[in-house]
Amino acid sequence: MFIISSAEQKLISVGIDIGTTTTQLVLSRLTVRNSAPASVIPHMEISEREVLYRSNIHFTPIDDHLLIDADEIAKILEEEYRQAGMNPWDVETGAVIITGETAKKENAANILEAVSEYAGDFVVATAGVNLESILAGRGSGASAYSEEHHKAFANIDIGGGTANIGVFNGGRVIDAACINVGGHLVELEKGGDTVTYIAEPAQRVLNDLGIELMIGDKATQKQLIRIAERMAELCVESIVNRHPGELLDELLMTPALKDDYEVYQVVISGGVADYVYSDYEPVALSTMTQYGDIGPVLGWAIRKKFAEAGVTLAKPLETIRATVIGAGIHSMNISGSTIHVNEQTLPLKNVQVLSPFPKDEMPRDIDVIAEMVSDTVDRIHSEDPDKILGIALEGPAEVTYNCIRDLAEGLYKGMRNYLRYRGVLIVIVGADCGKALGQCLDIVSDHHIELVCVDQIDVDEGDYIDIGSPIMGGRVVPVVVKTLVFEKGNK
Amino acid sequence: MANYQNDMERMIVESVLAELRKSGAAPAAYGNTTAGSVIEDGVINLPDVDHPTLTNAKNYAAVEAMKQVTTARIGLGRCGTRQRTDTWLRFQADHAAAMDAVFLDVSDDFLKKNNLETITTRATTKDDFLREPNWGTQLSEEGVKKLHEICKQDTQIHEQRFHSTITKVQVQIIISDGLSSRAIEANIPEILPPLVQGLEAAGVTVGTPVFVKNGRVRVMDQVGMELGCDVVLNLIGERPGLGTASSMSAYLIYRPTKDTVEADRTLISNIYAGGTPPVEAGAQLVDLIQDILKYQCTGVKLNEATK
Repeated sequence: MFIISSAEQKLISVGIDIGTTTTQLVLSRLTVRNSAPASVIPHMEISEREVLYRSNIHFTPIDDHLLIDADEIAKILEEEYRQAGMNPWDVETGAVIITGETAKKENAANILEAVSEYAGDFVVATAGVNLESILAGRGSGASAYSEEHHKAFANIDIGGGTANIGVFNGGRVIDAACINVGGHLVELEKGGDTVTYIAEPAQRVLNDLGIELMIGDKATQKQLIRIAERMAELCVESIVNRHPGELLDELLMTPALKDDYEVYQVVISGGVADYVYSDYEPVALSTMTQYGDIGPVLGWAIRKKFAEAGVTLAKPLETIRATVIGAGIHSMNISGSTIHVNEQTLPLKNVQVLSPFPKDEMPRDIDVIAEMVSDTVDRIHSEDPDKILGIALEGPAEVTYNCIRDLAEGLYKGMRNYLRYRGVLIVIVGADCGKALGQCLDIVSDHHIELVCVDQIDVDEGDYIDIGSPIMGGRVVPVVVKTLVFEKGNK
Repeated sequence: MANYQNDMERMIVESVLAELRKSGAAPAAYGNTTAGSVIEDGVINLPDVDHPTLTNAKNYAAVEAMKQVTTARIGLGRCGTRQRTDTWLRFQADHAAAMDAVFLDVSDDFLKKNNLETITTRATTKDDFLREPNWGTQLSEEGVKKLHEICKQDTQIHEQRFHSTITKVQVQIIISDGLSSRAIEANIPEILPPLVQGLEAAGVTVGTPVFVKNGRVRVMDQVGMELGCDVVLNLIGERPGLGTASSMSAYLIYRPTKDTVEADRTLISNIYAGGTPPVEAGAQLVDLIQDILKYQCTGVKLNEATK
């Protein structure tokens, strides 16, 4: 259906962040509105993001550092929804982020089950260090700063188990990485000095420093400061020097940041950030271990080490809630308003994105296009026939009718084997030609296939996307781009 | 041969010399155009104003980002209190292109290549067209006759193709030069194929598109009343600006009458390579026309109906 109007639509979005240390929830209201003048083809965008409710910050119910108690999670969510005065079925979009050490496969399944009741139809449960980095940077304001200043801002979200780095320029994410350092990797008696837990990554830091510390030992103030400083140095090193040393290389859970850009300023978010932007000094052991971890002293060390490196720290808009706010209000994208979809096909979840074409070299020839598509699609399809696949491409070689028509023929031809098995053809095109391409695909397939052709969404090979049911009277679809990496698999 | 400081200076000198040569006044010694000149085979390569040429920008990336969202001539620097010469030349050139778009006709070659028959209005010349706005909204007697002939052929073609009888088509597409012949030449070849094929694929009957010479927006009302079709689509050249001279609009009207007013029309504007690409606009119009046929109205009424 086609509507030219200035109408707006409001959606309730939830963000749930289940991290190593804390579990949080935010509920927010997103407003989708047409920002184009009346006589031009509409441009839908999220015009307002309003946080309606911020939950308490709960300790994540996790037993002997391995498994999450899913029933406890469900209880927390139930209580928070009650406090917010909202019902789970009011929620239309959002994301559940399972992060840090909790992002293990066995946990993911449990959590999915536990949250499914409290998250609406179009909420994704996902974990992925890069996605977390991106959402934290959007929630902390680093992304907005980069848009305002047209310079690269790095956000480091330092939580209990990991430091997630997202780098933004012009409001777009340009790089991401994750280091296995955090405030909760060494645990102590609250306010005391007895070590109660040392996570494996922290052990590496200890080895590197030559500090011998075991569970049950009494840690000295100096030892804790040295551990925190070393962790902080790794954060500085990852931003300033992109060729990691031995320890950083070991603790990086992703490839290091690329070295083809300059970082202008750094924003720190996450629980540790509150001690970065305060005047806290680690003078007494009792304050250093007040939460039973090394969070406060790590915050202080970050402040000190970045100052020593001459890097300016910009103030975040959110600290400990950056990720959950990012998940709640920044996880959804809106497609271009010229799309071609069979409505009954949607929503579609966990569509794996494939990019069969080389960057900047879009072929024109039908058979070349078909071959590239079938090579990629048939390979993935034979590995796992149950996967829903989507083809992502920048656009036709030229935005002309002939090119688009040939592209449609090539795509259809290349997808024929796959379509015989699963009747939905999903195409995500960057250029503003989703409708023309969709229409051509409809014609070349003789109207025999279900078709979802959306434009103006940025996706990459390896991304998974969820495509929601059309909103704004069918003009646009909400799309959540996610990266499902549960383990150290993509290094 | 003089030593020029830059291409711009060379271009100015050569342009002047070219003019002088036409009048036979050029000094013979300067008569040769050297390789690498900005004038080649009669084509003038215009100075680029799409990228910032400020020399002392504090944040070059910011200027670039701003330029990406506007066609306004910002971030180009200055020379004393005036614009730089290349900026100024480009301004003059774009202004000339806008003037050409208004005053030049759509070429016969173009019409022939795209199988477009010409229907005339009461405005027989460009001067009449520009001076008497009403004449461009009324078909000439000859124009009306030709329109009916073409329409009759359309119903016959339909019979041959689909073996069913129709008295009229549902949608008639007209193409008017309006205030930019350049918009027509640039966009029509890209918009017609997805539009016509898309409509036919959706089972909508479409008349052969015709070209209305010296036509204005409201000429579509007469076309609709003459043919009795459901929808008239007028693809018309927009008043050119310095940003682009090739932007086209698509006006739609459902069963126009003498009482039709502007609020009854539906419009998609800004159709050109730098706005909504014509091929995408064509696909978009297919959906829009189907909605119009479903709701049996256009303009404000359509907006209300689809709310």
